[in-house]
Amino acid sequence: MKNNIAIKVDDLTVAYNYKPVLWDIDLEIPEGVLMAIVGPNGAGKSTLIKSILGILNPIAGSVSIYGKSYEKQRALVAYVPQKGSVDWDFPTTALDVVMMGTYGSLGWIKRPGQKEKKLALEALEKVGMLPFKNRQISQLSGGQQQRIFLARALVQDASIYFMDEPFQGVDATTEIAIINILKELRKANKTVIVVHHDLQTVPEYFDWVTFLNVKKIATGPVKDIFNDDNLTKTYGINYKVSIQE
Amino acid sequence: MSSAQIEIQLIASLVAIACAIPGTFLVLRKMAMISDAISHSILPGIVIGFFITQDLNSPLLILLAAITGIITVVLVEYIQKTGLVKEDTAIGLVFPILFSIGVILIAKNANDVHLDVDAVLLGELAFTPFDRLLIAGVDVGPKSLWVIGCILLITIGLLFAFFKELKISTFDAGLAASLGFSPAVIHYGLMTVSSVTTVGAFDAVGAILVVALMIAPAATAYLLTTNLKRMLVYAICFGVFSAISGYWLAHWLDASIAGSITTMLGILFLMVYLFAPNKGVIAVLYREKQQRTEVSLLTFLLHLRNHNEEEERHVNHLNEHINWQKVRSKTVLELALKNNMIVIDNHIVSLTEKGTDFTSQAIDYIITNEDSKIEHMKDDFFLFRG
Repeated sequence: MKNNIAIKVDDLTVAYNYKPVLWDIDLEIPEGVLMAIVGPNGAGKSTLIKSILGILNPIAGSVSIYGKSYEKQRALVAYVPQKGSVDWDFPTTALDVVMMGTYGSLGWIKRPGQKEKKLALEALEKVGMLPFKNRQISQLSGGQQQRIFLARALVQDASIYFMDEPFQGVDATTEIAIINILKELRKANKTVIVVHHDLQTVPEYFDWVTFLNVKKIATGPVKDIFNDDNLTKTYGINYKVSIQE
Repeated sequence: MSSAQIEIQLIASLVAIACAIPGTFLVLRKMAMISDAISHSILPGIVIGFFITQDLNSPLLILLAAITGIITVVLVEYIQKTGLVKEDTAIGLVFPILFSIGVILIAKNANDVHLDVDAVLLGELAFTPFDRLLIAGVDVGPKSLWVIGCILLITIGLLFAFFKELKISTFDAGLAASLGFSPAVIHYGLMTVSSVTTVGAFDAVGAILVVALMIAPAATAYLLTTNLKRMLVYAICFGVFSAISGYWLAHWLDASIAGSITTMLGILFLMVYLFAPNKGVIAVLYREKQQRTEVSLLTFLLHLRNHNEEEERHVNHLNEHINWQKVRSKTVLELALKNNMIVIDNHIVSLTEKGTDFTSQAIDYIITNEDSKIEHMKDDFFLFRG
């Protein structure tokens, strides 16, 4: 059992138009895990990470990152939104998008310079996108766009990474490339939280899992709790998953 | 040129620059119609401000009108948030009501106010040099010039200070929020600048041209570049070009300056829309035609690779086998020959080594979508770009 708690969520309730989409969530995520959040559509997976990141305001409950509020710990956290959440026709290049990851440490008004550019180039190198640095972002394939987003998070050099469906619409090669980078992050004792859809790959990719369907169903090590019982509770149907050892 | 002529062109150009800057971000945020709403609904603010100050260029009037602009945005967002109507409907509900309140206010007091609806809608640049700013009895130029000059300076200052914040919150509001750049603050900041600019430009160019100057230059620039800074520069250039050429068009036609400037904006957009190198209609048509030919070429080469029997590769029978018109077959045959991908020996077509290589690589690329090997071909073939 790991001892340091990276993220603690207490009694979190979030509502859209007074209709709760997350009910009374209590969650403790230990440092250094690679965790999947799984659950059916509308289960509140994205809502949960957006609430932790202060993008949405909960109607009740609190979140702490290493014991302090998110506002105080911003620098420790990087976020990869869903690829579909931005307009890829925006007039900018791959390198420029990755540079955006450095804006948080710069704060208001101050502009990125050579140091930030160097960091961004290194991050592009890590995700294998250096040859595409000057490519307009709409000229990239879906998998390449996802790598750019990942590079943008890497450039923040955070302790905790949140990713909203990073494998959506990417091919197998990119998926493997991304998961390898995530595993490297875990090795460096970073905490990685991923909204994930493909249940088949959970045991292979992740060591920690949270089942979510408006309420928290279960959370813990994959080897202990990733079973048919929890899957059935979460997805409502009799779920059978074959786990390859 | 008389000094009045120079002053008019200077005012028109400054207005164009002041509009192009917020306009670029409005276009990228898909909020073009919000500028239309603001430009109309600030009317009651202007009228009330005018009643109080009796001066169209008073800072109080600009402040009141800007507040009405912000109220418009807030109302639109509030109505939209109820989920009962969509954003465009919400805009269509809010601004005519506010605008008509302004119209009624003007009509009720039309006798003792020199402010009429025509001037509000179309503005009158030609009269701007008559309203002078006197400091200690010294004429320092037209009031409009000073008003729009100040607004422009503030806008440019804000743009330089918050360029990075504007960019990130426009591109990815979620990331901006998570990094601590409140998208709401930036959103309302941009709305305030848009409102203030609209009021400042209103007197000179009227409610309709303000919208044109905000949206058209930015939309035109968007077709020409994939770089945000360049888009801003292009938008400013297009705005200024239209302002000055529009002025001379009006001079030549003896027509409304505002109308002529808007016409120039329209013509400029049309030209770029047709002739822009990448996104223009003609470029797109050309690219499509080229792609069609390249697909044909590939189909043809693949056919050759898959068939060793001579009758399938006989020049005269190719039409039947691939089921193409004669002209198309001829074009493709010539293209393949020109690129040394085939040889014709005694009316029998065969792939060269280069042709075989090309076919395998292209098919590989289409099936696996692996980019690495094909990169060098992208320069020569449209098929593999984008």
